[in-house]
Amino acid sequence: MRTMQPSVTIGSYTWAQDRLPADEFELRLAELRAAMERHSWPAVLVYGDVRDHSALAYLSNFIPRVRWGMALLPRDGDPRLLCAMSTRDLPAMRGLTWITDVRSGMGPEWPKAFDPWCESLKADQPAELGTLGFDLMAPVLFQAVRRSLGENFMLRRAEDALPVPPERKRPRELTMLRASCQLVETAANAFVASWRSSGEPETAALDAERLARSLAAQDVRTLVSLDDGRTLTPYAGRFEKTAGPLVGYLAVKLAGYWADVFVTAEETPSPAARRAADALDTLIAAVKPGARSGDLFTVAAEALAPYPLHPALSGSVGHGIGLSLDEPPAFRAESQNELVEDGVYTLQVGITDAEAGNALVSAIVRNRPNGAEVLLCSPTVIPGLSEARSPESITPALK
Amino acid sequence: MDERVTAKKNIRLAAAAKYLANNGRDGLIAASNGLNNFLESNAVYVLSGVRPMGESAVVLDRDGRSTLIVTPAWDAERARSLSCTDLTVGTDDLAAALASAVGEHHVAVPRSLSVGLSLLGAGVVARIEAALGVLPQAADELARDLARIRTAEELKAAEHATWIAERGYGRLLECARPGMREYELAAELYCFTKKLGAEDNFLLMSASQHNLAVRAAGERILDVGDIILSEITPCYRGQFAQICRTTAIGEPRPIVRDKYAILQDAMRAGLEAGRAGTTVADVTRAINGIITKAGYGDYCRPPFMRVRGHGLGITSDRPGDIVDSNERVLEAGMVFVMHPNQYLPESGYLMCGEPVVVTDQGCRALSAQLAQLDVIPV
Repeated sequence: MRTMQPSVTIGSYTWAQDRLPADEFELRLAELRAAMERHSWPAVLVYGDVRDHSALAYLSNFIPRVRWGMALLPRDGDPRLLCAMSTRDLPAMRGLTWITDVRSGMGPEWPKAFDPWCESLKADQPAELGTLGFDLMAPVLFQAVRRSLGENFMLRRAEDALPVPPERKRPRELTMLRASCQLVETAANAFVASWRSSGEPETAALDAERLARSLAAQDVRTLVSLDDGRTLTPYAGRFEKTAGPLVGYLAVKLAGYWADVFVTAEETPSPAARRAADALDTLIAAVKPGARSGDLFTVAAEALAPYPLHPALSGSVGHGIGLSLDEPPAFRAESQNELVEDGVYTLQVGITDAEAGNALVSAIVRNRPNGAEVLLCSPTVIPGLSEARSPESITPALK
Repeated sequence: MDERVTAKKNIRLAAAAKYLANNGRDGLIAASNGLNNFLESNAVYVLSGVRPMGESAVVLDRDGRSTLIVTPAWDAERARSLSCTDLTVGTDDLAAALASAVGEHHVAVPRSLSVGLSLLGAGVVARIEAALGVLPQAADELARDLARIRTAEELKAAEHATWIAERGYGRLLECARPGMREYELAAELYCFTKKLGAEDNFLLMSASQHNLAVRAAGERILDVGDIILSEITPCYRGQFAQICRTTAIGEPRPIVRDKYAILQDAMRAGLEAGRAGTTVADVTRAINGIITKAGYGDYCRPPFMRVRGHGLGITSDRPGDIVDSNERVLEAGMVFVMHPNQYLPESGYLMCGEPVVVTDQGCRALSAQLAQLDVIPV
């Protein structure tokens, strides 16, 4: 889900060496170096910005909190990491990555940091360098890269040769994703509990955010509905009361790994909520290694019929999740990717209908040989809601 | 719809249309990458009043007709309720929607200008170029120039953002204690300012017994003798306001107080120097002059400091960085943060900064109380 990007990500960003030790990154890098060998690339340049940095984080653990970062990873020799921070900030940046050579790449620092490193790769003949994430790069920086490389190097997209991060999660990634799922579940419970007492979706989202951040979340994103689930909106600080149902979206990042969940909560599920929950169950049951993403879309669409998919889902009933909130493959009508074992996917379905009501629900699953292992599932029902909410807590217009 | 926002933004749209007409240009494509950099002008926000979630654009023709295009498509309803453009379109394909809007406005791209395309990812720009056939000439300074003077409503919002920042700092003084992790304190502070109405907060907050710089909060556990540095920057109705504060846990060494007084003197000198008609360089020299006079001239450069302040997005980041090479003339109504933050060898890095508005008499701090070295008793 697209959410409002904050101006800076606050939270706990220290390199968690106990959970993601250096040898983990050596193994990740070994796969990249094998690809360099196959393609005769002396190095791969890996770019990421504050919003999209999954390849950079996978290989370096570095997550830009503002602007961008770029890992210069050679086939042989020592890597270097450039970040768009001033030299004053470098000591703090060095604590975020296993790469020891961290330099500023801002403004006049760029040629000092980038050019000599590339010079060391120069051979008699022009060579190709692989790139990851360069589609995200602003044209101004791209031109600086081209100027620095001159005629000595050509750039080749490495994404086609080696998907980074891989769809199949490594064991330590699965552990991290489980922890993220637990955290977002805790936040979702706080979201529901707060709404029960306040009737204000934004207050509830803020309470959930505060709890997740106090439990070391690196980032928290929320969307709430102020019209009973018909549309979603980012935080605006209006604190309007709503009669319900509570419909919202929470995403939490912990040590680099995201988990997200839709919440549709009401005392008695509406027809839309029941249909969406059934469709989610059907979708979960259809997940298995080799299943095609487009077929999963069809399964979900048929289970939701006669209702169309909620527009907030942008025509997709799921996708990968991990170092990015939105990893491939997307489960769209036209997509034909085969799901892999140990892939982790967020499955999302929803309905908006004037009579049946509105609902958005989701689950995060790990794809195992015998089917989906559910790591997290939306809460949908709040027994006793009517007793918990006093009439005074609802605005006159909604009574 | 927020009528105040609409009235304010129509001024920018009208000014942009007038600029196009005066310069013989057909239209303007203003784009945003949705990253909400608090040091940048967000051209889409300036022209539409909408803070976008994803890549977005405003198409404006010389007759003043305008269309806002937002991604993702499902955000269209929110955007439409806030936007002052004539039309608002939601899409999941910005390039295609942009080409369609350009056609509907009968804008000739080769005779048009662009703002902010240089901030979009190369992949998106390539798709836009393919859809339009050619990219308009870049005029990336236009939005920040048009919005460089805050309107009365914007100044009011900046003052309110400052009020939120000061309340947030008050919360820090209440909550911070030995044994607390930095990220726990940051969580409390961040969410507290959101509860007061901040839609965003560029919050840096860290501690050390001898700071080298401020950074984002980490896992470090606060303890007696720590100096907490905080850069609290809430955004209210599109106006960021920043205060920089220094807080000791337990009574600091006397020399820390002595050195902090240098920064306070530098701040006062900067406020006095920042009269309309003077330059940014004049303000910088006034600040650096105090620090140099105290014997730290060699420290008036990175990595011991970065800049003496800077503009605040997302409306306009004018007058830019407060550095001695910036010869931009200050104009009444410009808003920026002035911060003589400084590393000194005896005390470590110290922070002292206020959001200010330029007046004919000097810079006026928007904060109710100027920074002082605060102490959390233990």
